Amino acid sequence: MFSPVMLGQVFVNGVSLSAIYILVALGFTLLFGIMRVVNFAHGSFAMLGGYALYFMYGEWHLPYLLAAPLAAMTVAVVALVFERAVFRLFYQKMFQSMIALLGLDMAITFTALLLWNPYERSVPTPLGGVLQWGGLIVPEDKLVITGVAAVALAAFWIFTRYTRHGLALRAASQDLEMAEAQGVNTTALYRLAFLIAIFMAALAGGFYAQTYSLSPMMGERPLLMAFIVVILGGMGSIPGVALGGLLLGFSESALSTYYGAAVSTFASFGVVFLLLIFRPWGILGTPEHD
Amino acid sequence: MTKHGESVAARRYWGLVVFLALAILPVVSPSQFLVSIATGTLITAMAAASLHLVIRTGHVSLGHAAFMGVGAYAGTLVQTVLHWPFAMAVVAAFMVPALLGLIIGPLVLRLTGKYFVLVTFLFGEIVRLAMANWQSLTGGANGIFQIPAPPGFTSLTTFFYLVLGAATLVVIGIARILGSEIGRAMDSVRQSERLAQCSGVPVLKVKVAVFVLSCGLVGIAGVMQAWFVHFIDPGSFSSVQSLNLLVINVIGGMNSLAGTLLGTVFLSLLPELLRSYVELQHVIFGIILIVVMATLPGGLAEAGIRLRAMIAWRNAR
Amino acid sequence: MGADVKFKGLLAVACVTASVLAAPAARADEDLKIGVIAALSGGGTAWGLGLQRGTQIALDEVNAAGGLKIDGKTYKFSLIAYDDQYNAAQAKTAVDRLVQQDGVKFIMGPVGSPGALSSLAVTQPAKVLQFVDGYAPGILKNDFNAAYIFRVDNSNLEFSAPVVSWVKQTMPEVRKIGMIVPNDATGQAAVPTLIGAYKVQGYDVWVDYYERGSKEFTPILLRMMAQNVDLFDLNSAAPGDAGLMVKQVRQIGFKGKVLQAGGAGVDEIMTIAGPHANGFIKYDVVNEAEPQSKPLVDTYAKKYSGPMNGMVPVYYNATQILLEAMRRANSIDTTKVRDEVEKLEGWNTALYGPLRWGGKAAYGNNHQILLPFYMKQVDGKTVSVKATLQPNN
Repeated sequence: MFSPVMLGQVFVNGVSLSAIYILVALGFTLLFGIMRVVNFAHGSFAMLGGYALYFMYGEWHLPYLLAAPLAAMTVAVVALVFERAVFRLFYQKMFQSMIALLGLDMAITFTALLLWNPYERSVPTPLGGVLQWGGLIVPEDKLVITGVAAVALAAFWIFTRYTRHGLALRAASQDLEMAEAQGVNTTALYRLAFLIAIFMAALAGGFYAQTYSLSPMMGERPLLMAFIVVILGGMGSIPGVALGGLLLGFSESALSTYYGAAVSTFASFGVVFLLLIFRPWGILGTPEHD
Repeated sequence: MTKHGESVAARRYWGLVVFLALAILPVVSPSQFLVSIATGTLITAMAAASLHLVIRTGHVSLGHAAFMGVGAYAGTLVQTVLHWPFAMAVVAAFMVPALLGLIIGPLVLRLTGKYFVLVTFLFGEIVRLAMANWQSLTGGANGIFQIPAPPGFTSLTTFFYLVLGAATLVVIGIARILGSEIGRAMDSVRQSERLAQCSGVPVLKVKVAVFVLSCGLVGIAGVMQAWFVHFIDPGSFSSVQSLNLLVINVIGGMNSLAGTLLGTVFLSLLPELLRSYVELQHVIFGIILIVVMATLPGGLAEAGIRLRAMIAWRNAR
Repeated sequence: MGADVKFKGLLAVACVTASVLAAPAARADEDLKIGVIAALSGGGTAWGLGLQRGTQIALDEVNAAGGLKIDGKTYKFSLIAYDDQYNAAQAKTAVDRLVQQDGVKFIMGPVGSPGALSSLAVTQPAKVLQFVDGYAPGILKNDFNAAYIFRVDNSNLEFSAPVVSWVKQTMPEVRKIGMIVPNDATGQAAVPTLIGAYKVQGYDVWVDYYERGSKEFTPILLRMMAQNVDLFDLNSAAPGDAGLMVKQVRQIGFKGKVLQAGGAGVDEIMTIAGPHANGFIKYDVVNEAEPQSKPLVDTYAKKYSGPMNGMVPVYYNATQILLEAMRRANSIDTTKVRDEVEKLEGWNTALYGPLRWGGKAAYGNNHQILLPFYMKQVDGKTVSVKATLQPNN
């Protein structure tokens, strides 16, 4: 059970699981950090990203490197309608946003069920093979996700640290009134943040659908995962997403391998439960005064 | 009469009218189905009203169905394993979830709004997992079936009256609490915990007491459901059911018990109207939630008040 | 000219109106409603739709043939379907509505133990004939002695032992079995039987459980592989989960056999596992290659989109059994029809040949159907039937 190859495989699985979790949680935490919106509709945007990729790559056979970002961008742009009609009404209203976006999630998911059928589909992948390295086995699709997650994380960090828009975003997330007084156009800024967040959700959804499977109900799981990751790391914190994702990914990989899936599920729920009670703002978050 | 007294009198009047209408329902109803729907709706009303108690302290729980489940299992096991009389089943259905509430209440009730939502959601999932995994006690995911109704209440009509009686007591009890000193303390806690603390309200004590009572009451609704459906399983008390109870309160209006009851009727009957068009039903639900949160944070109850105000304004002109 | 068109239009409208008004008098057909309770939203939707569609196809056929003559009246059939969301309380409300409001006497479904167990408490006292599918033994073994209930699909009790015997014969090199079981009603009710069947034949069985909704099985699969299992049995995993398990276990380099003793329908698994499905062996309840299955397969493809899962043939068959029993009883009284269903033993069904009922030893009554079943193997993009097996009685 504890041979080097086995431990290596647990590590590899931990990395690929973490990558998926980080990718899914990035957009979620961005919306929360800046607009104070708990995006319960996150999973349904991920699902839409999956279908967009399914049609663009699987059905219309666009080149993959074009199809993947284009699919996510399409969802994000179309979602601007929701930004205008729904999200905008609930910025800075944490509780109301939870319930209303839960409603939006239901509406989108079941519309998808009406449009497409409930059957699980598979999104083709350009890289379906497996890399072998010593005794270690790394599926290519998971390697791609790990790469994309790393790039996305780095891009996020650079964007918020070193660009003007990023600076404005950070300013707004720290003190909204002050940022507005300094001439930050919050409406435009929110739209930008929303676009990025949904783009990330849809991109993650595309990869998720490709690695696993695609159906109108597929969003539930990524939403739950994003939730747990973000609570672990601290809501609104980008380094927190990286930490939360790694913690969840590695603990799931190790616990499931050595103790079984039931223990792993219980443990992750239990830890988050305790963390919420004793340090609700998460490991890297900051307590709020409200 | 003061304005407050007037509205209390009006509420009593309408409460009595609804009660009498329900009381003669089995006699005048053309179909058994109406009685059976009414029974289910009353059970849901009990559960939703007990969640309303917690909400009035400013805490929105997304795990209340777990306590309903604990009550249902406790009551059922008292009957089927210990073979105690049915009265004891009701006692167990109240006590066990109340005790559980007493244990976790002081821990979770210190959290503010959104964290409380998350923590109760997780707690509900943990309870559901426990029900599904503790196979020797709960029958696991396959649940317990052939649960007998209490002797004397085996026919639909008699059982309906049992549920009507229980629901009436629960609703009157909750209304009494909300109208009492404790109710006013709850309102002050909801509006501002710090202010309430400063003016001498024992905030945590009030919240825990209300939470424990609410867990016990929803447990009774749970055992009623077990008797009604004759079957319980972990899936019957999952986060979907918790969410349903919350949505009832949100749509009905979170600051009014009458609104909660209205919300129950609305959310129990709408699925019946749309039962053959489920996807559409969920889409409509979703849109209603958005619209209510955007325009009427006070829910159906607020809509009623606004309507009345509008009529009064017109008449005055 | 304009007036002429107008007049013709008016005439047409009048004709249509007249024919609509006259229709009931001219046809004098009775409409008999068949109820369907199935998961039409949420997780079990694919099964629910299969149930509804299988029933619908069989009813369409009898309607197209002019209906059914019973006791001098001609009956045409229509279907009322309600969703139970794979939830016990919802199933109870749905069945209350069918029985008390719509006056339905014959119900197809639900699929799955929670709905089946809560609905039978309504249908049995009301003497409503119900054809269910679900693995819990309590569906047939209950206080009502399943008076008006039939299980129209094999449960694990019927197919486990024959599958294991077949494995023993055809794969002598297999010693150790690995299973990853859904921690839900189906998994908990059905899988112990399957495990027992393997153990009786002297196999070593390694088992772990997973929560429904998981998509990443790699860590538990790794755990399983460390046990040196030779055969991985997907048991009663849902098609989507089963497809992912096949894919993931191959991705991490499992070289042994992968088999599913349970579930029904290979298409969805092949779609999701892709090339990794090669060599995968599966229990199924329909053999599309046989000539008797072709009409159903063709009709389904013409009428519906999406893969045809195992519920379609099972409920197509069940509906035909119900119709034949009505014909023989020459009545729509449920007790008489029920008695005829029991006596249909040996009747040649369109899909499965002679009908067999069993289950007395296990449940105390013979209301368990015994369907012959198939072990199929995926070879590239095609599926071939390796064996036709008979269920245990």
